[in-house]
Amino acid sequence: MNPAERLIADAVTMLTEDLAGERSDQFGEPHVMLPASNIQEAVRRLRAAGFDLLADVMAIDWSDYPGHSGPRFTVVYNLYSIETVARLFLRVNVEDGQAVPSITPQWRAAGFMEREVYDLFGIEFEGHPDLRKLVTPEDLEGHPLRKDFPIGETPTLFNEGRFLDPASFRAGMLGTDAGRTGWVGGARKGVKSEQGREPAALESGEGGEA
Amino acid sequence: MSDLPPRATVLSEESRGDFSTKLMRINVGPVHPATHGVLRLVVDLDGETVMGVQPRIGYLHTGFEKTMENRTWQQVITYTNRMDYAHALGHDLAYVLAAEKLLDARVPERAQRIRVLLTELNRIASHLLGLGTSLLDMGALTPFFYTMRERDKILDILEMVSGVRMNYGYFRVGGLSRDVPEGFEAMVQAFINEFPERLEEYLAMFADNPIWVNRTKGVGVVSRETALEVGLTGPSARASGINYDVRKARPYSGYEDYDFEVPVAEEGDARQRFVVRAKEMEQSLRIAQQALVRLEPGPIRDPDRRISLPERHELETSMEAVIFHFKLVTEGFHPPKGEVYLPTESARGELGYYLVSDGGSMPYRVKVRTPSLVNVQAIEPASIGGTFADMVVNIATMDPVMGDVDK
Repeated sequence: MNPAERLIADAVTMLTEDLAGERSDQFGEPHVMLPASNIQEAVRRLRAAGFDLLADVMAIDWSDYPGHSGPRFTVVYNLYSIETVARLFLRVNVEDGQAVPSITPQWRAAGFMEREVYDLFGIEFEGHPDLRKLVTPEDLEGHPLRKDFPIGETPTLFNEGRFLDPASFRAGMLGTDAGRTGWVGGARKGVKSEQGREPAALESGEGGEA
Repeated sequence: MSDLPPRATVLSEESRGDFSTKLMRINVGPVHPATHGVLRLVVDLDGETVMGVQPRIGYLHTGFEKTMENRTWQQVITYTNRMDYAHALGHDLAYVLAAEKLLDARVPERAQRIRVLLTELNRIASHLLGLGTSLLDMGALTPFFYTMRERDKILDILEMVSGVRMNYGYFRVGGLSRDVPEGFEAMVQAFINEFPERLEEYLAMFADNPIWVNRTKGVGVVSRETALEVGLTGPSARASGINYDVRKARPYSGYEDYDFEVPVAEEGDARQRFVVRAKEMEQSLRIAQQALVRLEPGPIRDPDRRISLPERHELETSMEAVIFHFKLVTEGFHPPKGEVYLPTESARGELGYYLVSDGGSMPYRVKVRTPSLVNVQAIEPASIGGTFADMVVNIATMDPVMGDVDK
């Protein structure tokens, strides 16, 4: 057993025995699922054990995932140990509207990462010293990386009635009709096999490509 | 951490002594010659001394992740290289490696070598751009033209291979989009032969030049502890004594076969951040040379029909090839369900794509761990206590790319 494996084995034992963790590996990478209330303690102990780099904090919105049941979001913490080359992922399941304890007070690297998750998913981090939007415009309502946030061909709403309607925007640019690409936002192919609308407006006379 | 200076909080502080200086909050950017793109900084100043820096980012936010989640796996490559436009192939490589891990694709050796070779050349181009512009920020105008001259030669090579000088999009999940053209090896060899001499010239101009050393030595010191506290990675972290390079720590694309060193310095100041990058270019050149020597003719794509497009001539004789071609072009492939994260070393630090697949033809979730976003957090601890002009040097030597920060 090399140092990385030993470090991960010790960490996983500690997390499962003391902090109600549950191992759920993904493609050979160690992931441990934790209750949200234990994340601060888990990160504190892992940092003391040698995981000295917080590589990332990210979130996944499961609301469109085929066959998914359970909480809507998962927050994933990506910890790395430079000395032993070990990487460990912590996962916390969160319902919509539920807050996660922030690890920023104990680890400054999480500052921007948690703000990014808050901005793009609307997951609040309790105890974050400066929880503001990070990348989206101040007057944008909603959280763009949620699966129910519209993309592309649907109007994007801002405060005070400002909005962007891409189809008419493009039609105005071209001086022709709307929706030339026929792309339907949100329609996903694959397992769900729920094909979007047929491409419209392609055979609309002068507007279409020759 | 205790070694971080406290953040300045109050603006209405009482005047001190006879000469009253008050904390002043000024706004730098978002469009400012010293901020390397659209980075806005809210700076608290006590006279010339910086008491607090708050980066305000997002001016280049494009929603790449959301867009990628609505494109097929192969189409995503169009977007990856638009984030870090200075080291675009680094992003392409990081994405295709993660997707290949999901698919369990077998990339032929020739494709791996070409990938490594081009990524390293691109890294040199990125560092040249960083070096030139950071000297420009310190008031040295001339070196910028020299570094851009060398960078142009690399761009010529990349243009020859991919057809464009930016946003290459040359890699594919499973291999490369096409083989390198005739005359590629000679062109790369010519560059490899010429570049060490040029690099020596630049280093002679700066590494020991007393004016430049005085300007950068001891400026913007980031200690090892601070670097770990804010999550700094890449050359800037290696200048602070953190010996972490993903190419060594967890080799990918066959980096374990190449003989190269990872330059590390202890001081953590602006000078070392600069010098580490310069030394890294030498090492990248070494890797490129080794990759070029070992470049053997062979296939450049995974022969798996479910991943790679069939050869053009097959379409005329094989119905099966036509069917696979049609399926791949209209729908793409369907990786199994699961989540992967594969870290790589970009010119700015640890770069990794966290991909979640629902078994569909588009990624369910793409999260890019961009190094610049995390590294921007190090500007504040590096700049506090120094002068305003030193803060400019810190931003320049940290070398964030704003497309990489905002995504």
